[in-house]
Amino acid sequence: MRIEKHPILDFGRKKKVSFSYDGNPLEAFEGETIGSALHAAGIKELSHSLRFKRPRGFFCGIGKCSSCAMRVNGVPNVRTCIVNATEGMVVERQDGMGELPDAEFGDARYEILETGIAVVGGGPAGISAAIEAARQGAKVALIDENTMLGGQLIKQTHRFFGSKEHSAGIRGIKIAGEMFGELRAFEAKGLVQILSGATATGYYKDKRRRKEHLLGISKGNDFYELNADRVIIATGANENMLQFPNNDLPGVYGAGGVQTLMNVYGIRPGNRVLMVGAGNVGVIVSYQLLQAGIDVAAVVEAAPRIGAYHVHAAKLRRFGVPILTGHTVKKANGKGHVTGATLVKLDDNWKQVEGTETEVGCDTICLAVGLTPSCELLFQCGAKMKYYSEACGYVPLHDDEMMTTIPGVYVAGDASGIEEASTAIMEGRIAGLAAAKGLAEGRGGAIDNRIASIKEQLAMLREGPFGFHAACGKGKILNDMQSERGCASNDSCDPVPEFTHSRPQTYLFADSTQSKALRTRTAHEQKFAYPADRNTGGRA
Amino acid sequence: MQLPEKAEVVIIGGGVNGAGLAYSLANRGLSDVVILEKNYLTCGATGRCGAGIRQQWSTEANTRMAIESVKMFEGLSEELGHDIGLRQGGYLIIGHSDADAAQFKKNVAMQKSLGLGVSYLDPSEINGIVPILDAEGMGATCATWCPTDGHADPFHTTFAYAKAAERLGARIYRRTTVTGIDAPDGAVSKVRTDRGDIKARWVVNAAGCNSAEIAAMAGIDIPIKPYPKEIFATERLKPLFKPMVISFHDGIYFSQQEHGQVVGGISDPEAKPQWRAMPSLRFLKRMASTLTRYVPDFRHLKVLRQWTGFYDVTPDAQPILGEDEDVSGFMQCNGFSGHGFMISPSVTKALSEYILDGRASTLDMKALSKKRFVGELDREASVVG
Ligand SMILES: Cc1cc2nc3c(=O)[nH]c(=O)nc-3n(C[C@H](O)[C@H](O)[C@H](O)COP(=O)(O)OP(=O)(O)OC[C@H]3O[C@@H](n4cnc5c(N)ncnc54)[C@H](O)[C@@H]3O)c2cc1C
Ligand SMILES: Cc1cc2nc3c(=O)[nH]c(=O)nc-3n(C[C@H](O)[C@H](O)[C@H](O)COP(=O)(O)OP(=O)(O)OC[C@H]3O[C@@H](n4cnc5c(N)ncnc54)[C@H](O)[C@@H]3O)c2cc1C
Ligand code: FES
Repeated sequence: MRIEKHPILDFGRKKKVSFSYDGNPLEAFEGETIGSALHAAGIKELSHSLRFKRPRGFFCGIGKCSSCAMRVNGVPNVRTCIVNATEGMVVERQDGMGELPDAEFGDARYEILETGIAVVGGGPAGISAAIEAARQGAKVALIDENTMLGGQLIKQTHRFFGSKEHSAGIRGIKIAGEMFGELRAFEAKGLVQILSGATATGYYKDKRRRKEHLLGISKGNDFYELNADRVIIATGANENMLQFPNNDLPGVYGAGGVQTLMNVYGIRPGNRVLMVGAGNVGVIVSYQLLQAGIDVAAVVEAAPRIGAYHVHAAKLRRFGVPILTGHTVKKANGKGHVTGATLVKLDDNWKQVEGTETEVGCDTICLAVGLTPSCELLFQCGAKMKYYSEACGYVPLHDDEMMTTIPGVYVAGDASGIEEASTAIMEGRIAGLAAAKGLAEGRGGAIDNRIASIKEQLAMLREGPFGFHAACGKGKILNDMQSERGCASNDSCDPVPEFTHSRPQTYLFADSTQSKALRTRTAHEQKFAYPADRNTGGRA
Repeated sequence: MQLPEKAEVVIIGGGVNGAGLAYSLANRGLSDVVILEKNYLTCGATGRCGAGIRQQWSTEANTRMAIESVKMFEGLSEELGHDIGLRQGGYLIIGHSDADAAQFKKNVAMQKSLGLGVSYLDPSEINGIVPILDAEGMGATCATWCPTDGHADPFHTTFAYAKAAERLGARIYRRTTVTGIDAPDGAVSKVRTDRGDIKARWVVNAAGCNSAEIAAMAGIDIPIKPYPKEIFATERLKPLFKPMVISFHDGIYFSQQEHGQVVGGISDPEAKPQWRAMPSLRFLKRMASTLTRYVPDFRHLKVLRQWTGFYDVTPDAQPILGEDEDVSGFMQCNGFSGHGFMISPSVTKALSEYILDGRASTLDMKALSKKRFVGELDREASVVG
């Protein structure tokens, strides 16, 4: 399933490693995730669901959906899309619920870390924030669950749209490459500490914390208490699922997941793909599939017209790919994995028209039906959240320097409302600069000037036809933030916030049984031990 | 939805007790019942609880009430036409001292006299019940074991009650906050909400940790304080053990739910009454270190999420139940601390009896009036979390 020749990409495959899958030897290239390596070997069925034992595969490819959980080196519920395959690794399919490993619990560290600014999420927003803050001299810790930084940006092989001047015409991967260079330079100077393969599992306000903010970070067997003066949440977005029977069959993937396989690891997601959604993402990813030599059966779009830029849609048409507007997927077909889909026409009220069903043969159904901001940590830290349709979900109220209603907690990128990479970069820069105020020495004025100029660029970016919608949403958020601040003071509104989970699992499937197991181990270990519990009944 | 102008009974709070009472009343033919819930059903303590059901109590009254409740839980799925997820995997209570052993023996004798199948265990017998426990690590000196204890799904239980009540004519208004209560001349007359007012003959205060606030609206003072209680759930694993394991000494309780996750909590000796809902790392550490002492294999277990709920705590950790002595028509149904789920069947049945028949036969509510806080208190010793 590997793509050997690609018109744009060189996958730079280096050393091979061998690992085993259900007892059979397999090979991966170093730096490849387990999920990708299995896919390259044609293995799409990764587990069976807990309740109904339905086959489950890969979906988001970026650690958000838990659909790829397997048993790795005896440890159950490992998200194989964000863990690299390594030499000698033992990977097993997980049938239903996991079992505890019988091995000894390996080395586990419990460490207390301190930093100036903790940035959660290493996508374009988070990286930009880290770079700007470090440029001002602030100490930064950048946390990302993936082993490879870059978020959704590292998958974008096409030239950028939506931006009038900035980055327009440059491929996403190239922008990412430049950002990595800068980031590494600050890392070398000791200003940026990069924690990759690490998940921020919770925001805490413990009495004993050493700084204003405290994050729990889980990395492998280790757990870190990260104490920070400021926090920037740039956790991106979750890909939306669509409701139809069999939507959990292996072979139904999110567009980001498809891009990850194809553009990051050079692995064919399948041989014939049905694309769902004719917005920019759906149409561009379809074109990328064609570039990689993969057949696109059709693009289905429920709306009566194509949402993507005309130029992109025209390219697809030139390849003879039909774009079926006013259609949707009625169901996915197949046993064990996708072998086709039933499409159906929609009437003016978006109702399925009986008798208009058609069958399409395909081994992959790619969903490009939008994203929802990943806001768990923001809900949990108590930031005031509100639903904005323009932002595609609940987002925190924030001011024009990206600060939420919690002083010192900032947001940037898709987590503050779904937009695009170039705006995520700008927002990240603003958040990084604003957070650095007061932490970096004596350059307050310079920071303000730089923020002002980035704000201008951001406003320009949002002038285009596609930026307009987002700009409206941002306007509303700003207004609400202002009125919130106006009436502030005793606003601790509801004493029982609806969301107090530190990081709730995301429910993607109808039979949502595969849980995302966060790697907060209950380590039975010196540093973890707490003073003996002397509770004598007390309140109960 | 427009609120009705009046109702015979207005229940404030859509937790297991509010929903259970609406069902009990409607089931006996009083269907002019309204539930007002400021948010959504189960959003209070009910949706955040451990949902353990235990009959092993230290006082006779509580043991009776719990035994009665378990009998009712056993028939509830069928009665309500909706599976409440009852699983009777038993409760194993761990003791840590000679004093515990003496108290446990006394408890077991009393519980047996009431017909409860319960036994006193030596440490060597613990692994026969739950093989993965480390008796030495726990510092166990004894235990008691009742195989008919267990747990039920708090969401399904509440929804089952609510649906059955609605089928029988009760009405539920979500996103409706009670803002005031009119009680001129010592009798309730009207409930005010952010969506209009309702005249009522009976007003039931089942507002969980907000009950003191609701009582104050009617000019009544009750000593209920909110205690934040943290709890966590782990990843799902194949079944490892069935019972709920608890220790009053360590303040810990945990069980494995039907869907595989281990759910449990631990009390904080420094806990103060307050409205703090933010989960803490302190809890996570405390829970992790104690739990891995109880079950060393759990060092491999991953935490999925943690959250906070509130206990509505009275000075003796017992509920306040029944018609208020100062305001007639105002029914108290609150102060449940950490055990308001398990006794909800008898509590709601008793309250419905009082409203319909003028007296409760299921339960002696006199001892649970707010008046008891004036004199000496008799504390329930077997409380956890
Ligand atoms: C398929 C697809 C195609 C797209 N095409 C384009 C395009 O052509 N042009 C364009 O401008 N935009 C495009 N976008 C949008 C663009 O990629 C995003 O707007 C941009 O990447 C958002 O950046 P971000 O930094 O906010 O989030 P992301 O890039 O999503 O990065 C967030 C990162 O945070 C990590 N993370 C989340 N939670 C945690 C946690 N608790 N602990 C640790 N790490 C965490 C995630 O793993 C992720 O790496 C596309 C998006 C998708 C999905
Ligand atoms: C962490 C934890 C673990 C627990 N474990 C157990 C256990 O194992 N076993 C057990 O039996 N019990 C347990 N409990 C206790 C149990 O959850 C509660 O006693 C029980 O759920 C109380 O139910 P309720 O209906 O009385 O109150 P709640 O469920 O708290 O319902 C009260 C409702 O009133 C509503 N309300 C409040 N104010 C207003 C207003 N002004 N207007 C309208 N509506 C209002 C609230 O929104 C809420 O929905 C636990 C509790 C916690 C927090
Ligand atoms: S595919 Fe691995 S978490 Fe979504």
